[in-house]
Amino acid sequence: MAMSAAKPLIRRNAEIGIFLIGALLVILFASTSDGRWANLYNVGTIVQVTATLGLMSLGVALVIGTGEIDISVGSTFGMGALAYLWLAAHVDPLAAAAAAIIVGAAIGLLNGLLVTRTGTPSLIVTLGTLMIFRGIAIALTEGFSFSIPYAARKGWSYFLLGGDDFLDFNTALYWLIAVVAVLLAMLKATPFGNRLLAVGGSAESAHSRGVRVGRIKLSAFVLCGMLAAFAGTLEAGKLGFADGSMGRLMELQAIASCVLGGCVLAGGRISLLGALMGAFVLSSIQSYLVVMGVQPQWFVLILGVIVVLAAYGDKSLRQWALKR
Amino acid sequence: MTNDHPLIQVKNLDLYFGAFHALRNVSVDFHAGELVGLVGDNGAGKTTLIRVLCGIHAPTSGEVFFDGRKVEKFHPKLAIDQGIETIQQSVGLCDNLSIARNFYLGREPVKRILGIPFLDFALMREKSARVIRQFGLRDNVSTDDEVERLSGGERQSVKIGRAVEFKNRVVIMDEPTNHLSVREREHVNELAVQLKEQGLLVIYITHDIFQVHKLADRIVIMENGAKVADASTDAMTAEELEEVIRQGGRVVEKRETA
Repeated sequence: MAMSAAKPLIRRNAEIGIFLIGALLVILFASTSDGRWANLYNVGTIVQVTATLGLMSLGVALVIGTGEIDISVGSTFGMGALAYLWLAAHVDPLAAAAAAIIVGAAIGLLNGLLVTRTGTPSLIVTLGTLMIFRGIAIALTEGFSFSIPYAARKGWSYFLLGGDDFLDFNTALYWLIAVVAVLLAMLKATPFGNRLLAVGGSAESAHSRGVRVGRIKLSAFVLCGMLAAFAGTLEAGKLGFADGSMGRLMELQAIASCVLGGCVLAGGRISLLGALMGAFVLSSIQSYLVVMGVQPQWFVLILGVIVVLAAYGDKSLRQWALKR
Repeated sequence: MTNDHPLIQVKNLDLYFGAFHALRNVSVDFHAGELVGLVGDNGAGKTTLIRVLCGIHAPTSGEVFFDGRKVEKFHPKLAIDQGIETIQQSVGLCDNLSIARNFYLGREPVKRILGIPFLDFALMREKSARVIRQFGLRDNVSTDDEVERLSGGERQSVKIGRAVEFKNRVVIMDEPTNHLSVREREHVNELAVQLKEQGLLVIYITHDIFQVHKLADRIVIMENGAKVADASTDAMTAEELEEVIRQGGRVVEKRETA
């Protein structure tokens, strides 16, 4: 049977499920929205949202790869956006973006140190820092928003950082492509990537082979913080303003992207491309609900239902593939 | 053939896991060019002792000397760098990684491109396959396959192959013949003797005194976290040593005086 020939492929590549779901949804959305979903403008919006959510998901995927979790990324995203906007009004946007990424690295370092030095579960540590940095973001903005005056929204470096489109797509897309290429090479083809997945597969075995488990986990948290803050930077560049609630609940979408994309929460098995496809699926669903005029109050509910269905479909596909 | 100067010297080692007293005042010397059988029942402290030697556990008190120098920090990386290779019983392999990736985990060979270290896949595949196949690996298994796919014996082959490939000064084998067929078992035992003849220290852990008595120069018996016997195989027969284990707790030291 032709179908069963696909089984080994699905067994080896956990991300195939999300690619199939993505393809199905694209067909479904395009054919039921009377051109409102599948047009260049709307696809451009989906791509921009996918790029920022995707950057965040890549970082979360790396942390999941080590067997830990980072749910503070929504707040890190917000802190990155605020740092960028506050500085971009005074210095060159590239320097502002670098500073925002350093803020993200610092948050990641804090998460990583708390997890590796105290042995506290990362779920609770990053839940705490999620709230701490959300609180700081709200306090910093005092209910107002940070913004860049229209007059300052110019210059190639501002456009380069999410501030404009290039070839019909927001520049965030090109950053995403560059970052995923670097991370894929790092994960698959360097000693660091080998050790990262080893730590997630069995920290005890990795330790016995001389791998510095704590350092690997710490590095993953720092990378994750940097990526979340950079995503926040690109989103801030696109919008030109941000308030204290920027990035709220995005951490849940990032984790959902990873899990839908075939990352195993127990660690050791992740798919970066799958996580990106997960981010694309989530942004597509959101966009579909918007263009179909679904009332905002139903929005989260319907999104949640679709996520559960997609996750169930993906799991069923994998179970089918595991049967001989 | 043993030197007077011990390669590894353990002095008054105590180790607690919480309230559990896992090692009790253990003192033992190991020499280069010696094959030592470390014997005892399950829970006797054999594995705990060698996990101190290979840096996984730090002792609560007591001292370890390697080549005359006191060991101050315990980490597997340091032990491996000193030339101590260990075939662990229950740890050492990551199921989610390929055979080649496990083989080189922690000491991956790299090719630098623009200064960035990239894994040397060709070398990893070719060399790990050549070494592991000596110890048993199905022909249809490639070194790109995940370790999860392997049988118990094949997993052991990967660990043994790795220790042999990176052997340096000490090879510690914790129940190395578990899960192996009769032929593979003989191969591993021959290998232990070969390594010793090459001048390495080989510490061979087992609960089968008769098996190791044939190979070893010396037998150290542990019981309840303490050393209870330390005798050269010339001085005591396997039956006599078995009697020591059966009685438990009676401390015996017999060394050949030649």
